Amino acid sequence: MSSVDYTKEYSVVEGSPRLSEIEDIIIRPLNVKPDKKFYMAISVTLTMLLIGVISLGVSFYYGTGMWGNNNPVGWGFPIVNFVFWVGIGHAGTLISAILFLFRQKWRNGIARFAEGMTIFAVMTAGIFPLIHVGRPWLAGYLFPYPNQHSLWVNFTSPLLWDVFAVSTYFTVSFIFWYVGLIPDFATMRDKTTNALKKVIYSVFSLGWRHSNRHWQNYEMVYLILAGFATPLVLSVHTIVSFDFAVSVLPGWHTTIFPPYFVAGAVFSGFAMVQNVLIFIRKIFDMEHIITLDTLEKMNKIMMLTGMLVGYAYAMEFFIAWYGGVEAEQFAFVNRAFGPYAWAYWIMVSCNVLSPQLFWFKKVRRTIPAMFAIAVFINVGMWFERFVITVTSLSRDFLPSSWGYYSPTLVDFGILIGSFGMFFTLLLLFTKTLPVVSIAEVKAVVDGAQPTHGDH
Amino acid sequence: MSDTVDKQYYQKKDLPDGVKKAGYILTAIGLIILVLAFMFDKTRASFNALMLLMFLTSIGVGSLFLVALEYLGGAVWSTPFRRISEFLASIVLILPIVAIPVYLGLHELYHWTHLDVVAADKILSGKAAYLNEGFFTIRVAAYFLIWILFYYLITNNSKKQDTSSDQKLTKKNIKLSAGFMPLFAISITFGSIDWMMSLEPHWFSTIYGVYYFSGTVLASLAALTYAMVYLNEKGYFGDKIKKDHYYSFGALMFGFVNFWAYIAFSQLILIWYANLPEETFWFMQRWEGEWMYVSLLFMVAHFIVPYFGLLAQPSKMNPKRLKFMSLWILFAHYFDMYWLVMPTMSKGEAPFSWIELGFPLLAVGIILIVFNIKSSKNNLMPVGDPKLKRGLDFRF
Repeated sequence: MSSVDYTKEYSVVEGSPRLSEIEDIIIRPLNVKPDKKFYMAISVTLTMLLIGVISLGVSFYYGTGMWGNNNPVGWGFPIVNFVFWVGIGHAGTLISAILFLFRQKWRNGIARFAEGMTIFAVMTAGIFPLIHVGRPWLAGYLFPYPNQHSLWVNFTSPLLWDVFAVSTYFTVSFIFWYVGLIPDFATMRDKTTNALKKVIYSVFSLGWRHSNRHWQNYEMVYLILAGFATPLVLSVHTIVSFDFAVSVLPGWHTTIFPPYFVAGAVFSGFAMVQNVLIFIRKIFDMEHIITLDTLEKMNKIMMLTGMLVGYAYAMEFFIAWYGGVEAEQFAFVNRAFGPYAWAYWIMVSCNVLSPQLFWFKKVRRTIPAMFAIAVFINVGMWFERFVITVTSLSRDFLPSSWGYYSPTLVDFGILIGSFGMFFTLLLLFTKTLPVVSIAEVKAVVDGAQPTHGDH
Repeated sequence: MSDTVDKQYYQKKDLPDGVKKAGYILTAIGLIILVLAFMFDKTRASFNALMLLMFLTSIGVGSLFLVALEYLGGAVWSTPFRRISEFLASIVLILPIVAIPVYLGLHELYHWTHLDVVAADKILSGKAAYLNEGFFTIRVAAYFLIWILFYYLITNNSKKQDTSSDQKLTKKNIKLSAGFMPLFAISITFGSIDWMMSLEPHWFSTIYGVYYFSGTVLASLAALTYAMVYLNEKGYFGDKIKKDHYYSFGALMFGFVNFWAYIAFSQLILIWYANLPEETFWFMQRWEGEWMYVSLLFMVAHFIVPYFGLLAQPSKMNPKRLKFMSLWILFAHYFDMYWLVMPTMSKGEAPFSWIELGFPLLAVGIILIVFNIKSSKNNLMPVGDPKLKRGLDFRF
């Protein structure tokens, strides 16, 4: 790839496969029985999920006292995990909606899977605010509906905006995902020989016949949904950042939070998508559909967002000094050199330093290297939320109310369980639905598009 | 089927005479007003000179950013028009001259340049290590150096390609652009903090650099769009430019109108909500007396009008609408500079007279002259660029 010819547009799918080959490759995992590896993988994730379920059971039975949350650190692991998982979801929408609006063809191979990860990540994230309220069975009151108890929500609280933002985001993401699936359901319906599958695919394909008129309407709906999803995805992490930034707490209240959180979310989301795709393309023989070029582009986006996040860290520090507010200065010195310095430096080295390796083309195109960096990024981004949430709370305004937060085994159990849930859903997804959009990939194969200009 | 364009067809053509004349006339009028303003009211003239400097910085550095962005993103649809941004980016060469009147008024503009004031103020003496004339000058020189250096490096390669059609130059420019981006982010951020945020040295906001950046990109994009539609209507780009190109410009401008609003709103709501006096006073200044009406007008001008003006799909490809909206956005960006700078000079009253009218004329004049000089020496299209043919043939 050392000499790129800029006069040519390179196809995002390698080797110009025939359209029927594409169909076969993508549908194959749905038609073969799960192999041993699949069972091994799912037993690992189910075990993790089980650990989470037990930890949650313990929490419900004995109460939230089983967690490390204390006074002053009222927001411990649940909020850290919530922000982390919502962030993971952002990459999916960025790939499927925003890159679609930017007409980036390379997104077509990975959009379906990334969007699926969005849905599962948001589902996983949703658990945490629910359990963090302590009495999840009362969470229905978060929706403002007139009730006998005269309970009414606080419309001025960003925590409530979160409820609206995340639920709207989930709904639109789900519809967007489903609309994209309809033509594929129809393809599978036409190809399958199994009677039961035929019924299921027929129902979900909503009578799709691949007709010109269907495609026209489909393209319009898809465009409109992408247009909706774009501001929504930005609003979600913006509002998550408001949870912190509207307060007057040093280290939380700073104006750069909204774009900084969005950049961080895309950063960690891309790292997660890249990690999972590396396995998917290998296991399902899709290395010519999810190409090395695609992975390299994702790595470039990680490099960019990593630097945006680094910019925000630096800006916060600079303005904390420049602003001359004593409490703010203390909060930042405490972050870097206080009792949580270890967490802070893990965050900086994972998020700011490790993606700098992506400056080298070789690293961007070497699978083990990029995989390792993306793992570091996810560790770093989890620690970023930990640093923000915990360091600011642990040093209250009065030294008499300072405290140190240590998570308990139950906290870790729930965290492990969240990964278990996410990966279990992903594994089930790979066996029930096409992980790559058949229709969208067909559209970007060589020769699929009418060409213009002189011939 | 050839992969290159017919170079002869896209060679240099002179701009309409009107552009040249208008440039010189506007610059002459603007310069006279500038001199008169400094004679009559030095303080006010200094503030206006600062607005002028920041506006031209936006166009110049923003255009250089757009050029680098095209290389990095691998975009082809904008390649036929990259020269417009390259020409506009040459404004960075004269920024040091535009900065002279601001330098003359340093003491009128910046509170922190008065050592006695700083000594008596605990907060200001706390940041004296950063806000002092010596370090300020070094920083400003560094910004200019970065911008001018990268302007030469990138545009020279682009120019060389006109004759050699060497693809390696594209590759070189991609690398240069990657190097430029982090430096651009740092320089534009601290540039805006130094020149404008420090007008109120007690005030601070971590998003300030991003705010100025969003306006910068929007303004340079608007300048590019206007020039592109104007010149295309006069036939300067041949007959291959279609509504697909127009639409892309409209959509990008629309996107950045929203991005600007998002950043501006984030800053406002967070400061309003937390209600800390050390932050709110900056917005209060813009809400007192006449400034309230100016601020309301500003929201309409900078967001509501361009938002609805570019929302619908047909309006994004209508050349008339694009020309109007891009001029409007340029006006809104100057308005933005006014809104950022002027409340420091005049509390409660929004000053507006021949001085405030005259300086923007100078800005327009300078842009036209620079564009004219550059286009008389260079091809209006990067005829040797390997991506040009694909750019001309670009369709959705």
